[in-house]
Amino acid sequence: MKKFRMTRILIEGSPLLPDKLAREVLERYDVAVVKPPENSLVLTKARDSVSREPFYLTEVLVTECTVSIEGTFGYGILMGDRPELAYRLAVVDAAFNRQLPETEAWETLLLEEEQELLKRRLREQELTQATKVEFDTMEESYDRAK
Amino acid sequence: MAYVAVTGGREAIEKASELNHYYRLKESEEGLELGSIRKQMRLLIDKVMGEAGLYAPEYAALALKQGEGDPAEAVFLLRAYRSTLARNHVSRVTDTSSMRIIRRISSSFRDLPGGQVLGPTYDYTHRLLNFNLRSEGAEDIRAFMDRFAPAEGGPKLTEEPAFRKVADLLRDQGLMPPMKATLDTEPFDVTRRKVILPASRSARLQMLARGETGTMTALAYSSMRGYGSVHPTIGELRVGYAEVSIADPYGAGDPDDSLYLGEMLVTEVETINSFKQNEATGEVHFVMGYGLVTGQNELKAIAMAILERSLDTEGTAPAQDEEFVLTHIDGLESTGFVSHLKLPHYITFQSSLDRIRKAKGERERRQADTEEEKEDDEQQHEPAVGAAPGVS
Repeated sequence: MKKFRMTRILIEGSPLLPDKLAREVLERYDVAVVKPPENSLVLTKARDSVSREPFYLTEVLVTECTVSIEGTFGYGILMGDRPELAYRLAVVDAAFNRQLPETEAWETLLLEEEQELLKRRLREQELTQATKVEFDTMEESYDRAK
Repeated sequence: MAYVAVTGGREAIEKASELNHYYRLKESEEGLELGSIRKQMRLLIDKVMGEAGLYAPEYAALALKQGEGDPAEAVFLLRAYRSTLARNHVSRVTDTSSMRIIRRISSSFRDLPGGQVLGPTYDYTHRLLNFNLRSEGAEDIRAFMDRFAPAEGGPKLTEEPAFRKVADLLRDQGLMPPMKATLDTEPFDVTRRKVILPASRSARLQMLARGETGTMTALAYSSMRGYGSVHPTIGELRVGYAEVSIADPYGAGDPDDSLYLGEMLVTEVETINSFKQNEATGEVHFVMGYGLVTGQNELKAIAMAILERSLDTEGTAPAQDEEFVLTHIDGLESTGFVSHLKLPHYITFQSSLDRIRKAKGERERRQADTEEEKEDDEQQHEPAVGAAPGVS
């Protein structure tokens, strides 16, 4: 699984999953904190529809953290001031980078969480879809009423 | 203008600061919860984050609490805070075309693929005070959520709907110029570099995206009222969550290796303006205006699309003057400059006093001289006693 997809599930899904995965690692391995969670900025780029050139839209507050498991680094970063989750992301990342045996079972858990996330998103989208309208001109509306 | 520092009053300043807290808290039984400010003042939070140029809903709520609800003060606090943080990454280009839509309308086309989705909007509601909100409590909130958005039950939708951009439909019909190839030029960053006019398009867009909503709305309004020439229709207005990601700093260099950071709510507007003929090809196409801001701030996104277009038109109206628009839309700069008049200007004023006293003295001296001359004249014109008339 690509890291983009994995981090998306861990950040947007239930916080219980990164907690569980990180705990599995922390119980069995020595995890050294290389850089404790701290706030910083990410400058975001967007693309102008007219010129098709990028421009800077805004800065985003993020929390980032780096850990190491026996010399293999792991890095966690996410939007907002969320030190605990940044730390857990870093631990999970280090475990994947070091290819720890525990990670073999994780893909199934991640895919299940992704399905739950999709369900939540679809439920929210249904609320949005309920506001779909079809506008008639007054002329059409009168014709229909006749 | 020269500035002179002043000193003193430390204790009074500390007491004044405490007095703010006193007026903020007196007659309050409990402090405002940041979570409630963030959620229930969401449009204000969006405005403050956009004008601060910092997407951080929790801290925008904190800034609003600290600034007693004054958006200008909250923007100041957030800008000051952001200046203390390191910027370690630049994101990948955020793809707004695939954003998770919560609202999408077009005032140009009724029937568009994906449909008109009103989403959260006050546009069609009666502006009547809802007195029920006076007693809204936790139970009311729970009852509403259970009825409107039950957490249980599988969704009927099986996949998230895609919303094709209206501009693409116009392109299909040859009414918009063909899509340009994407360029990955490095944008200008107005937060780190001094803007020299004429500004590049990326600098203009960044400044507009950080602009103050009221000022931008007023300038866009002036253009539509005739002080300028831009009065568009809205091809598309979309509000939704766009994904933010960065290249994996510890990745093996694979351009596909990226890390997801979260979602950012944005409002994007593409306007359709008058058409123009390409001199080389003779083709006639509509001209598009573009606005993109953070949060749900539709007025500002529309104003941005009008202003960026207006700056590309020729004329003498304020909304067509790049320097006028770009140097006056930043809320922190304008409120800061007007506000600084409250701070000690004793030396400046002392110099004004000296000048007015000098001017007054000179005027009085001149008056006295004139009166003296007048008296002399009168005396000279009075006939001398015993002299013949006409002989002085």
